[in-house]
Amino acid sequence: MHYPWWHVPFLTAPMLIALVSVLHVVVSHYAVGGGLFLAVETRHAYRTGNERYLAYLKEHAWFFILLTVVYGAITGVGIWWTIGLASPLATEALIHIFVFGWAMEYVFFIVEVTSALIFYYYWERLDPWTHQAVAWIYAFSAWMSLVMITGITAFMLNPGSWPSGHGFWTGFFNPQFLPQVLARTGGSLLLATLYVYLHAALTVKPPSLYRLIESRSAWPALLGAVLVVAGGLGWYVALPPSARAALADASVLNVLTVLVFACTVVVFVMLYLGPYRNPGWLSPGFAILFFASGLAAITTGEYIREAVRKPYILYNVVLGNQILAEEIPELRRSGYLEGGTWTKAFVAARYPQVISASKVDSAKLLSLPENDQIHLGQTLFQYHCSDCHAAVVGYSAITQLTHGWTAEMIRRVVEHPEKVAFFMPPWAGTTEEAELLTKYLASIAPPHPPGMNYGDGRTGQ
Amino acid sequence: MMEPAQLIGPSSALGAPAPYWFLVFFKVLGFTLHTAPMHLWFAGTIVALLLGRSGAGHAQLLSARLLRRMPIVIAYGVNFGIVPLLFTQVAYYKVFYPATILMAWPWFSIFVLLTLAYYGVYIYAAGLHNGAGMTRLRNAGGWMAAVLFLTIGFLFSNAFSLMVNVAAWPQLWLASSVAGASVGTALNLGDPTLWPRWLMMFGLALTTTAAYVGIDTGLFAGGEPAAYRQWARSLALKLYSFGLLWFGCAGLAYVATWPVELRDAAFGGWRAVLMVVTAVAPGLPWLLLLRQSRSAGGRALAWTIGVTQFGVLALNAVSRQVVQNLQLRGFVDVTSEPVTLQWSPLLSFLGLFVAGVAVMAWMLSRVIAAARRGPVPGRSAEPGPEVRASAG
Repeated sequence: MHYPWWHVPFLTAPMLIALVSVLHVVVSHYAVGGGLFLAVETRHAYRTGNERYLAYLKEHAWFFILLTVVYGAITGVGIWWTIGLASPLATEALIHIFVFGWAMEYVFFIVEVTSALIFYYYWERLDPWTHQAVAWIYAFSAWMSLVMITGITAFMLNPGSWPSGHGFWTGFFNPQFLPQVLARTGGSLLLATLYVYLHAALTVKPPSLYRLIESRSAWPALLGAVLVVAGGLGWYVALPPSARAALADASVLNVLTVLVFACTVVVFVMLYLGPYRNPGWLSPGFAILFFASGLAAITTGEYIREAVRKPYILYNVVLGNQILAEEIPELRRSGYLEGGTWTKAFVAARYPQVISASKVDSAKLLSLPENDQIHLGQTLFQYHCSDCHAAVVGYSAITQLTHGWTAEMIRRVVEHPEKVAFFMPPWAGTTEEAELLTKYLASIAPPHPPGMNYGDGRTGQ
Repeated sequence: MMEPAQLIGPSSALGAPAPYWFLVFFKVLGFTLHTAPMHLWFAGTIVALLLGRSGAGHAQLLSARLLRRMPIVIAYGVNFGIVPLLFTQVAYYKVFYPATILMAWPWFSIFVLLTLAYYGVYIYAAGLHNGAGMTRLRNAGGWMAAVLFLTIGFLFSNAFSLMVNVAAWPQLWLASSVAGASVGTALNLGDPTLWPRWLMMFGLALTTTAAYVGIDTGLFAGGEPAAYRQWARSLALKLYSFGLLWFGCAGLAYVATWPVELRDAAFGGWRAVLMVVTAVAPGLPWLLLLRQSRSAGGRALAWTIGVTQFGVLALNAVSRQVVQNLQLRGFVDVTSEPVTLQWSPLLSFLGLFVAGVAVMAWMLSRVIAAARRGPVPGRSAEPGPEVRASAG
């Protein structure tokens, strides 16, 4: 409400965050796990004097750099870009709380990039000890980068006791921190192996080298799967009650959660019976299947992690519609349009007749012509509801949810959305504003689908 | 009539985590660090491609030398860019978020365009390695990248000119909104400062590219023929002169678009000294390049060119910051935000920063030693052919 709302038709602005984040995490986890893979395996290749394996690792390092340093780094910046546009107040709060966390993460990140480039470009020129040291510097800094970011993203789901004292470290070491670090570390190990399998399956021809890669990369993936399950269970235990309820209540979420755990267990069994016990089973098709399963699991996991936080962006601090939880009582008194910097300016510019003493006078809103009331209802929809709902068509569109609803039914939901569904934010405006929003929603609500047989002669119209 | 200042939201109740001077120091430092590599891709890519098309042997060699390193230059430029963005969001959040939301789609498109440009450079650079040859696709990748870099620069100029052009917000917003929500397409095209600002940055980027050519010739081109080095030194001087002329003309046009009050404030008191020093500072690297072109000079001269050009960029960053604050002062005082100092995280960051610099320095020292020594005896790890050849 302190900022203009970005109207993204069909998708809604926050879904762009989800899209960019998903595109990022499938590579960022590989950036961490792949770093550990390269450090451990380069050490092994040097110790055993396996030049062929070293040559493969160099080829893999090039693939790794092209993917992580270019795509991974820029999509990471892309998340920043997108959250600032779609959730400006939450971003403002996060940056005020954690600017030094991000700055520390940045130090690790720049060391990570430098060591990755040196590791690859100076492959033949560094002595083996230094080369391995650079690989371990990369692996450590990449993992620390994960740790720093996880502290911040975990805070968004459960800030623990941060609200009482606003301490940086209290917020950083929140109840979700350790479970999420475990799960993400496991996910990184698992995903890195799946990338290695995919890359090796498509590029390596000598059977002995291929089998070596298969068997050596199986154990970190098995360990990764165990960490994902352990971290996932810890994540569930440390969820706030409403998030756990959201997980249980929303059938799509509980199906997806079961799917993530089931996929991880299936991948574990396949890894154990395949590459670990029987190296040589891994065909290119099998590697692609593995890889697709891994991507599906990790992107689904990210979706669930985001979805259970509703209605908050920062749990108990900033709501999805970009207001602070503590602002709600005042907004109910003075009005949502009056309380928002940009909504108030909009009303003053378009409907100066409802401004009294430089304030939006809620009592005058219902004296506007009907079309103007509907138009202001649309403004309220944009700033109060469109973080989760498209209007007519698109993501969770209101018209898909209000087939055949009467104005009275709509009004009940508008006045108490959090009672209809606890993962919706409470109404944060006056009664008159609720009426405007009701009129707008009623104006776009489609009729009940015709032709439905209810057994009593009615057809649902 | 809407008062533009009405569109600036309240201060964060959390307070700034550090005093303004600390935040702005890192913002300016980060921007300076970002500018050096960013200039190389902004102006250097198109300069290198034009040189590559010229057909002359020396020009093609210089083009290849520049573009072979461009992927690494971009890696650092992008990552150094995170620092000023981070501190801008802490210290200038009240104007940064609204401005970028008003032009949300072009702003959002930047990271997509940058990804394409980055891969375009990689595709082009791949044609320069191991005699791979320059195919049409690789050429197209390079040119696409050059055009995208210029476009991205233009979008950045839009965002940061719109950030201080608060007076234009009401009109831009109301003309492109759906019931008060921004549709995110409002570029700052009506702002007279926009084009000169973008062109000025391009001129300065040309000088940085020229300085880089001087540095490369003095430090890293020892293995190239003497005739090439002489040609490159001469080109560096010409390019710097051209860039300087461009920068000067665009800079004058930029200042001419300022409102009188801003000009008076920027050229009054101590600020006048800063502005004048900023304007004449590029003369120093130019003189050094002149000397290099006449007497070849040595490594020390090349280093000095680099240091003085970095100084030019730093002065520009400081002046830019001063002007930015002057432009905003009628709407918001960014220096008077409440502060809730986060001592322990701040000190942790500074400690880690020092440790990170130490680790980087150690790695770079090993790289320099390795570069002087050459390949490790008995090690050859050209990967692709070996892995595939052994397939039998």
